[in-house]
Amino acid sequence: MTAGSDDGYPVRWAGSQAMITMPAEIDVTNADEVRRALLFLARPNVPVLIIDMTGTTFCDSAGVHAVISAYRQAAETGTQLRLAVTAVRRIFTLIGADQLMPIYPALEDALAGTADGKASPPGHPGRGR
Amino acid sequence: LASRGSSREWVGAGHVRAEGRLRDIQTITDVALSRLDDRDLLAELLKRARDILQADTAAVLLLDPSSGELVATAAAGLEEEVRQGVRIAVGAGFAGRIAAERRPVVLDHVDHTTVRNPLLWTKGIRALVGVPLVAAGEVIGVLHVGSLAERKFSSDDVELLQLAADRAATAVKSMITKEEGIAAAALQRSLLPAALPASSGVQMAARYVPGEGAVGGDWYDVFTLPSGRLGVVMGDVTGSGLPAAVIMGRMRSALRAYALVTADPAEVLAKLDAKMQHFEPGALATVAYAVFEPGMKEARVCLAGHYPPVVAAVGEPARLANVAPGLLIGAAPGVDRPVTTLQIAPGTLVGFYTDGLVERHGQTIDDGLDQLCRAITTRSPDAACAAVMAELVGNTPARDDIALLMIRSSPGGAQP
Repeated sequence: MTAGSDDGYPVRWAGSQAMITMPAEIDVTNADEVRRALLFLARPNVPVLIIDMTGTTFCDSAGVHAVISAYRQAAETGTQLRLAVTAVRRIFTLIGADQLMPIYPALEDALAGTADGKASPPGHPGRGR
Repeated sequence: LASRGSSREWVGAGHVRAEGRLRDIQTITDVALSRLDDRDLLAELLKRARDILQADTAAVLLLDPSSGELVATAAAGLEEEVRQGVRIAVGAGFAGRIAAERRPVVLDHVDHTTVRNPLLWTKGIRALVGVPLVAAGEVIGVLHVGSLAERKFSSDDVELLQLAADRAATAVKSMITKEEGIAAAALQRSLLPAALPASSGVQMAARYVPGEGAVGGDWYDVFTLPSGRLGVVMGDVTGSGLPAAVIMGRMRSALRAYALVTADPAEVLAKLDAKMQHFEPGALATVAYAVFEPGMKEARVCLAGHYPPVVAAVGEPARLANVAPGLLIGAAPGVDRPVTTLQIAPGTLVGFYTDGLVERHGQTIDDGLDQLCRAITTRSPDAACAAVMAELVGNTPARDDIALLMIRSSPGGAQP
């Protein structure tokens, strides 16, 4: 089933698992829109939200902050965020966002929820030194 | 307060009214008004709206988004409203209802049951008409007109007042934008160190360029600690304009206070994070905080979502310091961030910067960071700042704030 999110980014559902496709470029001009689209899906009846950034070729820190903003709400609603990212993976690890949510090198891995990059257990950011 | 409306023949014959109405509309749409600055235009519009409706008072209340209250901002005829700082919650009373429902309200019975603001009924206002001020689809305030005489404001009155309100909304929006821009820029200027502290054995230089359009929330700070160590901060609050600048100011002073309490940079950022999450929920910021030992032989660095500093040792190409990443301020509760100790050879240049310097459309973050490293061809802090700005910024207007700080130990024997 395909249905647009609130802000027009394609959303697909597999049962209660939602997958949203991110735009090719994310920067300060559309970061707010991205944040709203993610917040719209991070709700109690959505246990897993997959953020598909495999088609994203440019993302600056405004984009990373939008995803982190969504994480904060997702932590409250109990939605697990999984990020599939290829070209712009580096900025997420540089900023340390991989400590908050699992980051996958391919969409299939994110869908399966396996072989995640290097995250601590989801929902337990960077604890336990 | 003398009654103006009661002494005039308001409802006249039809043709007289039609002529009068055209004149009224011209009074409000008068091109000459555009030559006034926003604040004077608002005052003049209020006077004209009051006179056209043959009423006694006119007032503008503006929405304070942080409190959700309407605040009396300009008045003609009942200036006490402004002088006493009248505040009305959105949804409450007459003005509050207009803002909440985004539609005009006409009252021909004014007392404590219909109007929240006691000034209006204690001063003898008998009838009121108010309309919302809407700019860019959002309610930004309320314009209302009151009469000391008993009367019922007509739908024509409402239309005229809405015309004035639309004009006022444009003026108010432009006034707020200008004032916030000036305030944010002034705040930002006041918070950047005017002169970097003269610390023995250390040379420093910095650059700060505000983003085009709106000042953002970038800041840097350098201070000596009682232990003789040197604290260096580079930070960036997500967002722009006055809200970001205000949060930046709070973070800057909180960080300074915690720096006096503990020598551990991770603990300073943890305390800052807890403070932010409690008092500024929703805010996100990146910070790099470094504590340099006297003589700059060693630094302990902690990152909160911030890019690592760049280091350029004498005789070596500049490179990104290998500092473990830590999470942004405001991202999640109870985060631990690693501290990385950097050994610094004499004469080594250490640079801190914000994302605006290294993020460019059409290139990856690694491209930007490589470009930064390559641009550092000297160990002199000021010359390095100049070279980096020339290479990475050139003549391109900054989309985002750019902050850059370079520091090194004064060369003893080592030469750049």
